Amino acid sequence: MAYFGNNQQRGELQELYADLNDLNFEKKKEAIKKVIAYMTVGKDVSQLFQSVIKCLEFQDIEMKKLIYLYIVNYSRQKPDDAIMVIQNFRKDVRKSENPLVRALAIRTFGCLRVPKLNEYLIEPLKDCVQDDDPYVRKTAVLCVPKVFEVSPELCPALLEQLQKLLEKESNALVLANLIQSMREIEVVKGKQLIVLNPKIIQKLLLAIDECMEWGQIFILDYLATYDPVDSKQAEIIIERTLPRLSHINPTVTFCAVKLILKYLDYLNNGDLVKNLCKKISPSLISLLSWNQPEIQYTILRNISLILQKFPILFENEVKVFFCSFNEPYYIKYEKLDIMVRICDSKNFHQVLNELMIYINEADPHFVRKTIKSIGKIAVMYDKALAEAVSILVEFAKNVQQANEAVQELFIQMQIIYRKNRNLYKTNDSLKILFSIIDYANEPEAKSACAWIIGEFAEFIPKSVEKMGEYVDNFILEDRLVQLQILTSGVKLYIKYPSLCSALIQQLINSAKDSFNPDVRDRTYIYWRLLSTDPEIVKNLICYVAVGSSQFQKDIRLWETKDLITALENMGSISNLFHKLPNQLYKNIKVRNNNQQEVKIYKADEKSEAPSKEQEIKKDDQIQQQQQQQQLKQDFDLLNFEEPVSNNNNNNNNNNNNNNNNNNNNNNNNKIDVYDLI
Amino acid sequence: MISSLSFINQKGEILIYRVYKDDISRNEITQFCAKMIATKENKEFPIINIDQTSFIHISIKDIIILATTKTDVNVAMVLEFLYQLVLIFFDFKSKICKSYFQGNLDENCIKKSFVLIYEILDEVLDYGIPQIADPNLLQKFIQEGGVQQETTINIEKLRQLTFTLTGAVSWRPIGLYYEKNELYLDIIESVNLLISAKDTVLRAEVVGSIELKSKLTGMPECQIGMNDKLLMGKQQKQTRQTIGISIDDMKFHPCIRLPKFDKDRTITFIPPDGHCQLISYRISENINIPFKVNVFYSEIIDNKLEIRLKIKSIYDNNIYGTNVLVKVPVPKNTVNAITATALGKARYEVEEQSVIWRIKKFQGDFETSLRCEINLGATNKDQVWSKPPLRMEFQIPMFTASGLRIRFLKVMEKAGYKTNKWIRYLTKGGEYLHRL
Repeated sequence: MAYFGNNQQRGELQELYADLNDLNFEKKKEAIKKVIAYMTVGKDVSQLFQSVIKCLEFQDIEMKKLIYLYIVNYSRQKPDDAIMVIQNFRKDVRKSENPLVRALAIRTFGCLRVPKLNEYLIEPLKDCVQDDDPYVRKTAVLCVPKVFEVSPELCPALLEQLQKLLEKESNALVLANLIQSMREIEVVKGKQLIVLNPKIIQKLLLAIDECMEWGQIFILDYLATYDPVDSKQAEIIIERTLPRLSHINPTVTFCAVKLILKYLDYLNNGDLVKNLCKKISPSLISLLSWNQPEIQYTILRNISLILQKFPILFENEVKVFFCSFNEPYYIKYEKLDIMVRICDSKNFHQVLNELMIYINEADPHFVRKTIKSIGKIAVMYDKALAEAVSILVEFAKNVQQANEAVQELFIQMQIIYRKNRNLYKTNDSLKILFSIIDYANEPEAKSACAWIIGEFAEFIPKSVEKMGEYVDNFILEDRLVQLQILTSGVKLYIKYPSLCSALIQQLINSAKDSFNPDVRDRTYIYWRLLSTDPEIVKNLICYVAVGSSQFQKDIRLWETKDLITALENMGSISNLFHKLPNQLYKNIKVRNNNQQEVKIYKADEKSEAPSKEQEIKKDDQIQQQQQQQQLKQDFDLLNFEEPVSNNNNNNNNNNNNNNNNNNNNNNNNKIDVYDLI
Repeated sequence: MISSLSFINQKGEILIYRVYKDDISRNEITQFCAKMIATKENKEFPIINIDQTSFIHISIKDIIILATTKTDVNVAMVLEFLYQLVLIFFDFKSKICKSYFQGNLDENCIKKSFVLIYEILDEVLDYGIPQIADPNLLQKFIQEGGVQQETTINIEKLRQLTFTLTGAVSWRPIGLYYEKNELYLDIIESVNLLISAKDTVLRAEVVGSIELKSKLTGMPECQIGMNDKLLMGKQQKQTRQTIGISIDDMKFHPCIRLPKFDKDRTITFIPPDGHCQLISYRISENINIPFKVNVFYSEIIDNKLEIRLKIKSIYDNNIYGTNVLVKVPVPKNTVNAITATALGKARYEVEEQSVIWRIKKFQGDFETSLRCEINLGATNKDQVWSKPPLRMEFQIPMFTASGLRIRFLKVMEKAGYKTNKWIRYLTKGGEYLHRL
């Protein structure tokens, strides 16, 4: 029987109407199936409401299910007609001996979501929460949040009932549903509802062993938000959770990992912590090679958090994150990202060797990411520099067309040169880069090229000619490129004043009328400076600078203070996007954590205190100081400028201009700071 | 939790649409479908968040199963649930509705059996919260197809059913009886191997599963013993044969008593009726790599390439590997290939872009080789060939790459019947890769 005919004729609804009112039971049933089919494809069959609900008088459970489905779908459109169903529901709930029918009725009743119907629902619902049959109870328990969402004012008595049930319920499945539904209410209400005491915790722990996988997830998820009172309690809960690490459902395992990781903070036995880490690590690694890529992906997205707080877990495990040839790209991207995070001064050789293979893959986007990763490693670890650069140079030698990956190559090489200016002496990277410079076509890559030409003009043959090309096309370029061409052009002029005088003239001519204020202002500043005293310009823009502290070594995703909250929410959607729940969802409030200090679990364990954190802070401070100095210089420069700029057509513009310049220089500064993420 | 579930076909049309919460409109889903069809990116990432609405999906062949939610749910749980949902449908296909889900989960099947699907969706999720997702259980009270009608009338049986549904041993119904009591164990291992171009082993790993098929009467108590190092270490006598293997990680079917395993590493359980995956495990130490491959690419003249390949089997010579297949990648501009080998057949297959060498039976401790001469066309010559790895597929019965063995399998039931027990071993090639 084809229910999805495309050729619905005008009379079809009438026909259905006739069939629904037919005395023949089979005909009715067929008609209802057709109605549901229309509903699925999005056709409006709400007119048939009355005829459909008349069929409820039959006790056939299959038909009942279909009719309930229909009612749930249209009850909000037809609240007045829906009232007529109430009697049927109440009869089912109270009189039926069949627990399946009772459960079905109470479930559907809850889904009606019509406020004025809910008052009829409260009484039967109260009965069902106390039903003898656990199947009915578990359904009724879930019905409470449904009612609460629509009419919270009716619920106080019900909520009390739930709390009592939490004390006395013995069935594991009901208990798990109870926890979950109370949590749903907590989200809507914004207030804590579940009050845990040692007895209830004991009960929940027992229930974990008995209920189905989903129930286990609810309970583990909930317990992960609980703060144990002391080390002893944490130990007991962890002990009861440990077996879950071997559950076949990856989510159960993952929730258990989450709970244990969170509770580690409360343990005061160092050896136990180490032992637990040893047990968790293999389970996590199994999850990482899970055969369902989507699940693997979600776990991978959470690894950065674990890596930040528990580096110990993946010590010596970098191989786990090697990409295999046939994986979906979203997994490869994540793995690349993690490989950079996990890379340190010990294993960089291994990582770079692996990245070297990826560089030959077919997908340019993936290769691009690989190159970016190699660049990051080169900047982060001085020891890795030579090896990383040689891989990039090897890649550059084989470039035959302009693609994404090549663009990234220029960008990364620029950053590497900025940090290690003397690199050009040790290998022929400059020459090879220059030979493929025409392949740069993205603004960022072009600006990188322009910078390289300006910076290393002396060591590149034909640098002036190449700059001439850039100047010729100046107007067509992106703002970013224009700014860099200006700076590099001036650098060239200072290096070869006689050779480049025509070039700089042409450059200033085309730049001074630019529509972009940044470009225009920078042009004027350079122009004035050059006409006043080229020596100042030389000191200013040809400085050999950039101490290594300006390249952030820090690749943390999370603020240290957020780590615990993030850990509690591990596995959630917000965490997947590397955010806290309240950053993604406006209506969610995050619990405050009482803990002052965030422990970081490192492999070499001796000093658990966050020594690394302080180090990084120090770095930050130095960096800030340097930036301030730089800014001060800029201001001095502006003061120096002011009297001269009277020539400007518009005096009012003056202040704006200054501001702009200020920004401008800031921007310039920012480019120097290596932006890692 | 989950706000809605929908099944979507390749054209982006909604086939099945079930709402569990009010906070999502059909419109949003239609818009998402349109986007997903239009851009590749949406299809690639399994989770997408637009204006606080999260779209989580998996694809099974041409069908996309999409869950939406507006709350901060546990993503892995939703995904795992979707996968189990697919399993349920496949199970229903094979057991109840042979006329429905024939073969695959495709558009026609879904359209034909939408009533059944709605009924299942109604039961597996309530208010978007996963409930009962065990196929065996669901079949007990899903009505479509006319099965089990009788139980739903008898109130006493219904009591039993709801007791099973919510009880601690929910995977096994009470009162089963078989004339012959039989228990089958299949140990299936797939070897994931990655060898670098310099012949060093980058990764060697066995992912194994123990599949159980049981036809047993009553409520039997079973116990399995493996040559697990941690378990063997506890026993007193340590002879050469009792040195066990070390298992990195094991995952168990819900029926296995986890606390008991945690305490003394014994695996005890009451088996579900019929087929299930009892244990899955991962081993990365001391793997017996079954095949050693040597490959040389050498360019004779400009448009000719010579490939020489040598394979040696490293397992006992009374064991045979079957259906061995070696995929030797060749450049895109290959015109044809001349192959010469003593064993099996090899030929160039255009759609795979490789020379495929098939060997039906490969004896243990045996070496064979293949020589190919590849003629390259002049076109696309400049393009760099991103050498994909050489891959192998194979099956070796009665061999485990990890060395895992079942030492005993006990069945205890109060009726005290005799059980026929069967154990089989099989090693397969998983991601068996050799970089060039």
